[in-house]
Parts: sequence; C-alpha cells; structure tokens
Amino acid sequence: MSAAASLTDAFRSLARNFQRAHPQVKVVFNFGSTTALVSQVQAGAPADVFAAADTASIDRLRTSGLVSAPSRIFAVNTLGLAVKRGNPLHIRSVADLQKAKVVSLCAKTVPCGVYASKVIQRAGLALAESNITRGIDAKATVGAVVNGDADAAVVYVTDIAASARLVTTITIPTAQNVIAKYSITTLQRAKNAVAAHAFLQYVTSSAGVQTMTRFGFGRP
Amino acid sequence: MASSTVTSRTPRGLGAIGVIGALFLVLPLFGIVRRVAWTSLWEQLTSTQVTEALRLSLLASFLATLCALILGFPLAWLLARAHFRGRALLRALVTLPMVMPPVVGGIALLGVYGRTNGLLGSFLFDTFGVQVTFSLTAVVIAETFVALPFLVLAIEGGLRSIDPRHEEAAAVMGAGPWQRMSHVTFRLLRPSLVAGVAVAWARALGEFGATITFAGNIEGRTQTTPLAVYMLLESEPEAAYALSLVLVVVCVAVLFALRDQWLGRRS
Repeated sequence: MSAAASLTDAFRSLARNFQRAHPQVKVVFNFGSTTALVSQVQAGAPADVFAAADTASIDRLRTSGLVSAPSRIFAVNTLGLAVKRGNPLHIRSVADLQKAKVVSLCAKTVPCGVYASKVIQRAGLALAESNITRGIDAKATVGAVVNGDADAAVVYVTDIAASARLVTTITIPTAQNVIAKYSITTLQRAKNAVAAHAFLQYVTSSAGVQTMTRFGFGRP
Repeated sequence: MASSTVTSRTPRGLGAIGVIGALFLVLPLFGIVRRVAWTSLWEQLTSTQVTEALRLSLLASFLATLCALILGFPLAWLLARAHFRGRALLRALVTLPMVMPPVVGGIALLGVYGRTNGLLGSFLFDTFGVQVTFSLTAVVIAETFVALPFLVLAIEGGLRSIDPRHEEAAAVMGAGPWQRMSHVTFRLLRPSLVAGVAVAWARALGEFGATITFAGNIEGRTQTTPLAVYMLLESEPEAAYALSLVLVVVCVAVLFALRDQWLGRRS
C-alpha cells in the first residue's frame, strides 16, 4: 500500500480495523509524498493499492499504463496554519506569514506544496524563498514547527490536528483555502489483487469514511 | 614478489565473490553516469538552485572541516597521549556520531541548539535573540558533528604511530613542548592529518540527515547539495543526476589526490 504521508495516522487505523476482519491479510505501508510514490511505482515499486493526496497523480500513473482500474475520491482535506504554541508572533492569517522568519512548506512539486502556494497566492502574499524551508512531505513539513524552529507551517488541517497539543492552529477561511481531493486505486501490477480490492472497498465504505472523518478529513 | 604468491593462493570461489563485491560497489556509479543527460548537463548545473547549493556546500563543508580540525586535534591528542580514567569511554562517545543515524544526530542537535526547547538554544534565543537553526551556522554545526569523529580517529591513529623517540630527541636538544609539537609531531603526523581532513571533508560534504533535520531545507541558505539532489529528484530528475555526478567527481578527485595515503603506494 503506497499512501500519501498525510494519510499516515488515518490509514494505520483503517488497516488495523481491516485486518481484524481479514486476519489472513497484512497491510504493509509505504508512506511518502504523493510525488515520490508516483516515481517509485514508475520505477517498479511493488505496490498493490495507491492512495494520493490529489487526483492528478493517479492520472499520471494511468498515462504510464500502471493503472487501469477506476479511481475513487475517498476523502477531502483543506489547509491550515500551524504556528508555535502560544503564537508568539501573533499570526492570525495567511497574510501575517510575512512576520515569520521561517515558514515551513512542502516541496514545490508535492501536492501539499502546490496547494500551499495557491493559498499563499490567494492571500496576495509573496514569500521570499529564503524564508521558506521545504519539507519532503506533509508530515515532515509540520514537523519543522513541532520539533524544529520554524515559525509557521501551511499544511493539511489533518496533520496539524495530529500535533494539536504541540502547536497552535489557525484556520484559513474557505474563500482563501483549497480543497485537496484524495483518490485511491489499485495498481495494474498488483500481486495481491484480491486483497487490494478488498482494502480499497473498505476504505471507501461508510465505516472507512467514518474513520477518515475521525482523523479530520472531509467526506468526498 | 610477495603479492604474486598471495594471488596464486587465493581460492577461486573467494576471488569470484570478491569480483561481485567490486561490481556491487562500482555498478551504481555507472547507474549515475548512464542517467546523466550530457547534452544539457551544463544548463542543469548552472540553474540557480544548483549553483546556490554547490556554493553553500563548498562553504559549509570547508568551515565544518576547519571547526573539526580546531576541535579535533586537541581531542585526538587527549585520546592518544593523555592518561586519565575514562579514556576508553570518552573514545566510545567520540565515535558515536560515526555510527549513529545522522537524522538522530539532527534531533540531538535540536535538543541542544533548538530555539524552543534546546539546552543552549533557548538561552541564546531568550537572552540575545540569536537563533541557530535554519542558518549557515546550523549547517556547519551539523556537518562538524558528523565529520569530527572521522578526523579525531585519523589523527589519534597517527599520533599513536609516531615513535616517541623522535620527540624525546627533540626534547634532549632543548625544544619546548609547543616547539616539539610544531616541528616534530606535526611533520610526522602530516599523512594522517591529510587523510583525516579529506575523509572529514567528504563526510561533511555528503551530510544529509542531520542537516535537513536541524538546519532545515531553505534554498540558498541551508539547502546543501545532497538536499538539493533529493529535492530535484522529484521535480527535475535530470538535474538530480547531474548534481550527483558532480559529487561523485569531487570524491574521485579527493581519492586521486590522496592516492598515496590510501591506496597503499607508500608501502
């Protein structure tokens, strides 16, 4: 199972429940940025199911002939601002990010980096690259605020929620925000096609969607 | 003469595995060379992100090697020459960063120099408003942390192999301790010093885990060449291969320059 890093906690929980119902199946995860996962699959990584933080990545795999099954959107996500606990810089909006010395964003090419650029652009802000540290995926990006010394991160609300005790969360208004659509599919070269299909069914079932909402994702 | 008798005695199976071992190490280099887009190589190597990363890497690795030398020589001296309780323990602690995963090193450095919870970092920030992380200083600290043990061990080994009679002779001729060190010890130490500096520098140049964890990944500020390679692999794989080639060429050049020290030509 190759899955976007932002799905880490939710998918671990999904897999636990799924394995309880299918004790003969063991779900093995490979979490990373969607972009990195696409390259890995293109290079022949042995994955059965692919869950991406966007829809374009699975289309790309389809173009390279690695996906033929239909894909489904199973969750949505939005972005939020994570700042140091107690918000010492008094950051209240995306525009306030210019007060921050170091802003943590995902790499330009991974979905959460693309979404973040859009949000920043919509707020009419132009951040200097010399004030931006780039995380390799959503988890690492919020980690720079949680464990490191970055002042703020623009990342999925779900990743911020996972570290809610360690950072202060600031909501980005809907008008400025973007909606990330998570899509899932089985891969053409799946070695465990039956189990892959069963897991995909479970993720998109009402029980699966319920788990996703528990981790802060929106219904598709 | 001696080497030819040894060769004739090498069991055939062993030799074959040895060849596989050599291929195992050499093939990946061809993997890079094969993927380099030669026609656009220059273009890729002159993009802003790449030149900035190279400039930063050269500067930071040079500074880190210098720091490692300044801190490492006295430390190696202690380990090789001073007699005190806990010397073995100290040596074990000094070599720890060599075997520790670099990303763990990065976390450990955050624990000391981090602005929020760092042992020294929070004091520096609260008192002087100085933030170490996300700066060139942080890159140099991370690189020094991983490179220092290599230098210490090389110098310590060198110091141990010096025949104490040379220094004793100098003492008899009236040389003071500092004079003995600069005129006798340093000269005899030169080969190990050069080898140690080269390994430490190469290690600093290649540092990834501790840097991205501790110093961040800011283009032009803390994004060193290995970090740039990693980031480019997703966006512009051709540029990533081009930059990897540069790193390999640099390392080969270092090996070539030091062939006397390492490839056994001295003997």
